[in-house]
Amino acid sequence: MHNVWLIARREYTERIRTRAFIVATVLIPTLMGGGIFAVASLASKSKAEAHIAVLSAQPQLAADLREQLEHGRGTSMTVDLLPGNAPHAQLDRDIAAKRLDGYLTILPPVAPGARPTFDYTPRSSADIVSVGALRDALSTVLTREALAARGLSSAEVAALMAPVAVNVVAADGSRGNTTTSFYVAYVLFFLMYMVVLLYGMNVARSIIEEKTSRVFEVLLATIKPDELLAGKILGVGAVGLTQVGIWMLAAGLLAWLAGATSGVALSLTQAVFFIVYFGLGYALYSSVAAALGAMTNSEQELQQLNMFLMLPLFFCMLMLVPVVNNPNSALARIVSQIPFCAPLLMDLRISMSMPQPWEIALSIALIVVTIYAVLWVSSRIYRVGILMYGKKPNLPEILRWLKYS
Amino acid sequence: MPIVSLQNIRKVYDTKVAVEGLNLTIEPGTMFGLLGPNGSGKTSSIRMMIGMTVPDSGTVSLFGQPFSRTLLHRIGYLPEERGLYKKMKVLDQLIFLGQLHGLTEALARQRALAWCERLEIGETIAKKTEELSKGMQQKIQFIAALLHEPELIIMDEPFSGLDPVNAELLMDTLIQLRGEGKAILFSTHRMDQVEKLCDSIALISRGKLLLSGSMREVKSQYTRNRVRIVFSGPDSFLTHPGIAAAKNYAGIAELTVADEAAAQQVLAAALAAGAVIDRFELSEPTLEEIFIERVRASFGDAEAEAEAAYA
Repeated sequence: MHNVWLIARREYTERIRTRAFIVATVLIPTLMGGGIFAVASLASKSKAEAHIAVLSAQPQLAADLREQLEHGRGTSMTVDLLPGNAPHAQLDRDIAAKRLDGYLTILPPVAPGARPTFDYTPRSSADIVSVGALRDALSTVLTREALAARGLSSAEVAALMAPVAVNVVAADGSRGNTTTSFYVAYVLFFLMYMVVLLYGMNVARSIIEEKTSRVFEVLLATIKPDELLAGKILGVGAVGLTQVGIWMLAAGLLAWLAGATSGVALSLTQAVFFIVYFGLGYALYSSVAAALGAMTNSEQELQQLNMFLMLPLFFCMLMLVPVVNNPNSALARIVSQIPFCAPLLMDLRISMSMPQPWEIALSIALIVVTIYAVLWVSSRIYRVGILMYGKKPNLPEILRWLKYS
Repeated sequence: MPIVSLQNIRKVYDTKVAVEGLNLTIEPGTMFGLLGPNGSGKTSSIRMMIGMTVPDSGTVSLFGQPFSRTLLHRIGYLPEERGLYKKMKVLDQLIFLGQLHGLTEALARQRALAWCERLEIGETIAKKTEELSKGMQQKIQFIAALLHEPELIIMDEPFSGLDPVNAELLMDTLIQLRGEGKAILFSTHRMDQVEKLCDSIALISRGKLLLSGSMREVKSQYTRNRVRIVFSGPDSFLTHPGIAAAKNYAGIAELTVADEAAAQQVLAAALAAGAVIDRFELSEPTLEEIFIERVRASFGDAEAEAEAAYA
């Protein structure tokens, strides 16, 4: 046990000191957080801000449209009103000189009761934001005018046109927020996906590193391969857990500093189950990775065997949408019991809608049994494989290794 | 009580026989040379001595007891393929390896520092391994094998890749350790080193023991039939009937004669022919000659066996 501890401690302290670890720990949340923040702030600010001219022979319609475009929801355009017969040549020159983003020509209806025709000349034909804002504003203005023409007061029109709010109320009566709980589940899913893959591969790489540098020869002269394997998995796993821990603490701190106004809350249950499933998922995938590392001699050879790690994770990814859409469907319940998917998918279901306790217990039991089986195979492959250099073993050879003790 | 005793060891990898019927004993306080051509089973034998692999049959005893992993703390091993963690600092690395051999951190640190001073690499202690030259890395690994003061030191090609000054330094260190009563097993291809250092040798080829015993016993199996003459003047005496084979390198003749008496006759003939003799030396064949002869013979036997099998 002392040897396992020594190996794990070396693996941990050496890894945590590397520049790669520090960069990943600081940079990934900064980039992700910054990215989310940037997207959010862009989305909130992405109002149509173009400067356009409106050419209209109907002053009332033009004035209403201007009001809507300058102060309506999601737009804060600058609008110049011009008479309907203003010369286009001057406007075209303004557009070319970038003083103007476009102009809208409102042609009076050809028949009474019909709608007017709207011709918009943008500076860039790809300016879909302005066109969208114009379309929404025009439709609002026309509706409002039509309602007013049917004798409704402006207060009645405003009440009719107000947006509708839908409150999300969870079964226990608490107010929830579907968007945020969806995002939390999503973020946890990808966090686990990334960390399990990254640190699983790190175990394989660390084995290959010792193999190519031949440190094994020295280590195996005093300790057993099983101790080496156990120490390695524990050490690398502890690094992963440390990293996720730092990220979660930072996220928690940030949410606390921001006054939790974001409404994104990671419940204790979510955190506990995340850690449990992360530990299990990591143990499972790193045991597979250890076998892959022991079978190969170089990073390149490892790349070719990567798919054994990637395929189940990729399958989980495919199952993400069906499970999110219906967390308690038969499909979701079955795939979340598959040991290689359970860490990701069962945890996802837990964050979205709590499954039956027996489902959780069964999935954990299945993962533990699988870890045991994979470790049994891996440690045998490992024991023989780490002393084999040169030729890449073929399948019959690997099967024969399993018989050696 | 022998430090190492291998009895009738056999190890087969898939279809290849790595070691067959190997018997070996190493006594305390001896320097033991394990010789053999590449792929002859030296590393396989060493791996079985330290439990890295298990023999298919036969027994391994260490320090007079049947093999058990707890005995490994009394063995220091320098593998043929040098291996250190590249990114780790030298001192941390030595402490880590010392701890794996059962030392406390403080003791490992103290001994690592003392050894680095002794081997003249004190300035490397704070550097990363990858920044060091190959020779220095080899010294570090040499230290790692000795930190826990093992009673049995096993070294696979300890001097390969070292310059003469450093090779001498490590040799002197090994000789000192032998003086302290430790048993040292090393494998090498350099026969001159073996002749200089080893008390006993074992020669294996194709997984079988060809020759073993103390250096004196091995040499005494061979008659002193090698003659080396440094001379000037006529070389007609080289056709003397007592000479089995002769090579003449411009004034230095290396001869193989039938026996010691023949050597004296050759000397007399040379003097009679008027040659001026600067040096005359009669000796056993060198270890290198024995090595080449025995290994050739073993390969010949194997080929003969293979042909017999096909016939």
